[in-house]
Amino acid sequence: MSIIVRDVGKSFGDFAALTDVSVEIPTGSLTALLGPSGGGKSTLLRVIAGLESPDTGGVEIEGRDATRLPAQDRGVGFVFQHYAAFKHLTVQRNVAFGLEIRKRPKAEIKEKVRELLELVHLEQFAHRYPAQLSGGQRQRMALARALAVEPQVLLLDEPFGALDAQVRKELRAWLRRLHDQVHVTTVFVTHDQEEAMEVADSIVVMAQGKVEQVGSPDDLYDAPANDFVMSFLGPVTKLDGQLVRPHDIELFTETRPDTTPAVVDRVTRLGFEVRVDLTVGEEEVWAQVTRGTLDQLGIEEGRTVHVRRAAPVRAAAV
Amino acid sequence: MASPGVLVKPAVRGLALLYLTFLLVIPVGLIFWRTFENGLAPVIDGLTTQATIHAFQLTAVIAFWAVLANTVFGVVAALLLVRYDFRGKRVLNALIDLPLAVSPVIVGLSLILVYGRTTGIGQALAGIGINIIFSIPGMVMATIFVSIPLVVRAVAPVLEEIGDDQEQAARTLGAGPVQTFRRITLPSIRGALAYGVVLAAARSLGEYGAVAVVSGRLVGRTQTVTLLVQERYLNFDQETAYACALLLVVTAVLALGVSRLLAPKEIKR
Repeated sequence: MSIIVRDVGKSFGDFAALTDVSVEIPTGSLTALLGPSGGGKSTLLRVIAGLESPDTGGVEIEGRDATRLPAQDRGVGFVFQHYAAFKHLTVQRNVAFGLEIRKRPKAEIKEKVRELLELVHLEQFAHRYPAQLSGGQRQRMALARALAVEPQVLLLDEPFGALDAQVRKELRAWLRRLHDQVHVTTVFVTHDQEEAMEVADSIVVMAQGKVEQVGSPDDLYDAPANDFVMSFLGPVTKLDGQLVRPHDIELFTETRPDTTPAVVDRVTRLGFEVRVDLTVGEEEVWAQVTRGTLDQLGIEEGRTVHVRRAAPVRAAAV
Repeated sequence: MASPGVLVKPAVRGLALLYLTFLLVIPVGLIFWRTFENGLAPVIDGLTTQATIHAFQLTAVIAFWAVLANTVFGVVAALLLVRYDFRGKRVLNALIDLPLAVSPVIVGLSLILVYGRTTGIGQALAGIGINIIFSIPGMVMATIFVSIPLVVRAVAPVLEEIGDDQEQAARTLGAGPVQTFRRITLPSIRGALAYGVVLAAARSLGEYGAVAVVSGRLVGRTQTVTLLVQERYLNFDQETAYACALLLVVTAVLALGVSRLLAPKEIKR
């Protein structure tokens, strides 16, 4: 295990940000801390980095007890949501900062900085100042800066939160590729389940200062530990008092085993997907179907259809 | 239709200019005129007497120590107020503004009350050969006191604005507290700090009331430039008084000019 967090508690005044949190992060993994804002995920990341000290419990990094270690001695790289670029230094000097602090030889620093700027595609911006870069470029610079000191773990606090949707999507894919190249144990905080599912090998779902579930994206999606995890990780609707994924609701024109009659209230076409709002008895339910299904069944508003929950099918390995 | 603003704006501007003309431009202009009324020779004579040269040297020495002390204290206090939470923070914050509210004469008197020759502290210090009152240490203390808020109030808002993200980033990259301050915090506040230092220097050079009380006004010993101006004026040596006053004004204007160049953008606007 690269990072072991044991029974960590942390309060700010009356607010309990973390309560008895225990997490283990395997070496070389790319882990997301996912949850709603105020859920404690950023606090947990900052406790791991040494930017906050826990009230109770401890942190171990690469087999070393780091609980009382100041941030500068932990060997972690940290990337902030708002970049925390050193505004008075050029891109090159920003990336070189950690190496200059460690008094590495000039030639070595120069070579390493060149390598890293190439890795984050900022070679031609080496002599610019952060103010002359876009948000996405600043964040890539911050990443190169964090990687320069060859940290044992890389921690990213909502790294793409301040960027616009398009850049965010690009950087996600890029972070995934970067991790495949560099293999440093990486933990990032996000409140965006799509981002977590797309980028991470493993997800830690947190809410109200507690860990709700830990697992791979598929585990969490297909076998959520509770209703909270289920509803946080994807769309849900209620059928027979149970949470169901809308795409797991099957629609038929005639009765089938276990089906219930339902009235179609509304059909909304969202491109390839179609949202069908239904009334089942007293309950309002919605189902997600494809356009093909819709046309095949000839579903339209006002008609009665028969619904049931699809048998859980594990995605077959290809 | 013309809005009333069209007329109000020039009227307000005119009023402001008139106000400054009577309070500032005419008096300072008159000093300039009276200084050179009888040509350059008396001015040079007035500025080169032993007492005058000593007064300028003394003023420079006092201002130097006062500015140095307030620069160090100002940065530390600004960091404390912006970056840390502690008991008594509000008290410290209020105390820093106290010199703006208290008359400098009272500052001088209170220093005498604490360090005067008749007090316990004063006698104890005199016993080991240190005189505070009627000598340079007391004058430096009085000057420090009146210029305390200037550096703190220039630096604190900038510290607030830059936030502590960059400092935290430096720490995660392996920088200790001193390295973080020197490499990250100091360059970020450099402009504001220089601005505060220039203001403090200008204030220190021009201080009269507090220094007058604690100095004892000993000619050639504890007489600063402002004290000299007052003394020469009362002794009908108006040429020297005006010449010294003008030199102080020129220094202050230069300092203000420099401070405008150094001021962070928010203050310039």
